[in-house]
Amino acid sequence: MTSELIYKYLSNEASEEEVRTLFEWIDASAENKKYFITLKKTWALSALSQEISIDAAPVIAIRPKNKVFQFFKYAAAFVILCGLAKIALDVSPKTKSKSKEIILEWSDGRSEIITKNNQEKLVLDQNRHLIARKLPNHIIYYGKVPNQKVVYSTITVPYGKRFTVTLSDGTIVSLNSGTTLRYPEQFGLNGKRSVYLSGEAFFEVSKDKKHPFMVNANKVDIEVLGTKFNISAYPENPTVNSTLVEGSIKMSEVENKANVVLLQPNQMATWNNNSKKIITKEVDASFYNAWTKGEIAFKDTPFSTIAKIIQRTYDVEIINKNADLARQNFTGTIKISESSVANILELLKRDTPFQYVIEQNTITITNLPN
Amino acid sequence: MNNDNSFELDLFKSFKEGDETAFTHFYDKYFSRIKSFSVQFIYDQDEAENLAQEAFLHLWQNRATVESLNGIQSFLYTYSKSKCLNMIRHNKVKDRFKSEILNQKERELDIEILNSVQFDTLELTELERLIQESISDLPPKTREVFIKKRFENKKNAEIAEEMQVTLKAVEAHMTKALKILKTKLSDYLFLIFILICNN
Repeated sequence: MTSELIYKYLSNEASEEEVRTLFEWIDASAENKKYFITLKKTWALSALSQEISIDAAPVIAIRPKNKVFQFFKYAAAFVILCGLAKIALDVSPKTKSKSKEIILEWSDGRSEIITKNNQEKLVLDQNRHLIARKLPNHIIYYGKVPNQKVVYSTITVPYGKRFTVTLSDGTIVSLNSGTTLRYPEQFGLNGKRSVYLSGEAFFEVSKDKKHPFMVNANKVDIEVLGTKFNISAYPENPTVNSTLVEGSIKMSEVENKANVVLLQPNQMATWNNNSKKIITKEVDASFYNAWTKGEIAFKDTPFSTIAKIIQRTYDVEIINKNADLARQNFTGTIKISESSVANILELLKRDTPFQYVIEQNTITITNLPN
Repeated sequence: MNNDNSFELDLFKSFKEGDETAFTHFYDKYFSRIKSFSVQFIYDQDEAENLAQEAFLHLWQNRATVESLNGIQSFLYTYSKSKCLNMIRHNKVKDRFKSEILNQKERELDIEILNSVQFDTLELTELERLIQESISDLPPKTREVFIKKRFENKKNAEIAEEMQVTLKAVEAHMTKALKILKTKLSDYLFLIFILICNN
């Protein structure tokens, strides 16, 4: 209905009343506006190819092979996914046994579901002392005189969700989908500020030279003073990646403290469970924390990795039976909230043709039929 | 294609040296594109023609600054874009609707669209190739309707009569063509957009 109206408008055949309706539709949302702008741009620029005659034989599309161009093309393509075709993927929330909600487990063993619709509320400990304030997607602990005994809480963020915790020292931890963080309700007076991570998190550690901040992930410790960095330590991966944005951090093997590296900003340290080695390399750190801004970023990323990221981000299961696709690398950025899994697959399909079916929250990818 | 290209490269050299025949070649090649582009924003065939004339005059006078063959198109489009923007901003575009609110709204949208397009030479060549391909890829009937409409400026009723189909069918073909083109071209359009943001 709207497409027809836009077309009528573009070909100057819409009545004033129709134009009014169209403009009202455009004003209704940023997405509508974007859609309209795209169409009008296409329309205005399609005058480029004046020479084409009606009899023109279909030309076989040749892809630009230029790598850099390819990169931009995908970068661009991913961004546009937002707001265009709205093929919403209907994800049934009942099929998996694991909880679909964010769960906070208190030191005394109680657990509580933190859902998005939850009202803002204050959190008291057993002695009725105020310890935190809970917002829909964020829990903030109050810094107070540290207790004698350090007690730990655990927060678990399922696939398809993200959450932020502000610890009692003011450190902000953003938790990606499929992540568990264990942390003290109040940090102790002495020693290190230790937390335990499984999954992916971005840390903005508040400075406290007397109490180094320590993240334990898999078999490595990451020790910091005050700094910003990302850690990816999903249990299904044999590696722990730590990427530094600001400040300095030290990654060391738990079992062998001599196995240690010191990171500079824009470096990434990778721990490998199998080789027991820590390797560093220069990276663009912002690329690794794109998820904290609600984006997924790929750079020459193999499809297998992309599939894992999609599974976690959208809480779906991907079964890939297409060998060509498995070998393919992709580059681009996706706005999570504005794209669906189907959007992303449609886009990847343009480069490497494949077929897929979506059944509940399982996506099966196969070769095109011959 | 390659032969064409070396022929055009020769012409470009001559053009740079002030050869009017070479200039005429480019004029013939690009004039209607520039006009068609501008008319989408100033809504007046005569004005759009004037604007295109001006763009070519400007090109001729500034040929020393054009660095490559592809730079010609990019120069012309960039000029038209800023001319269109100027005309809109200075209220030189005639009102199309009775309602001042609608006129105003249309201008705002057009300014936004123009601002989001940048005619980088590489983009333009690539875009052109893609548009050609995309149009050739349209289903035959749809392509025919699209070309009659878009490049031969025919009214829906005329097309319907020529092709012996209903008015509704013509509209449906156009909607389909636009949808296909939009999907095929959208990454390029946004690429242009991204390049602006990064600059």
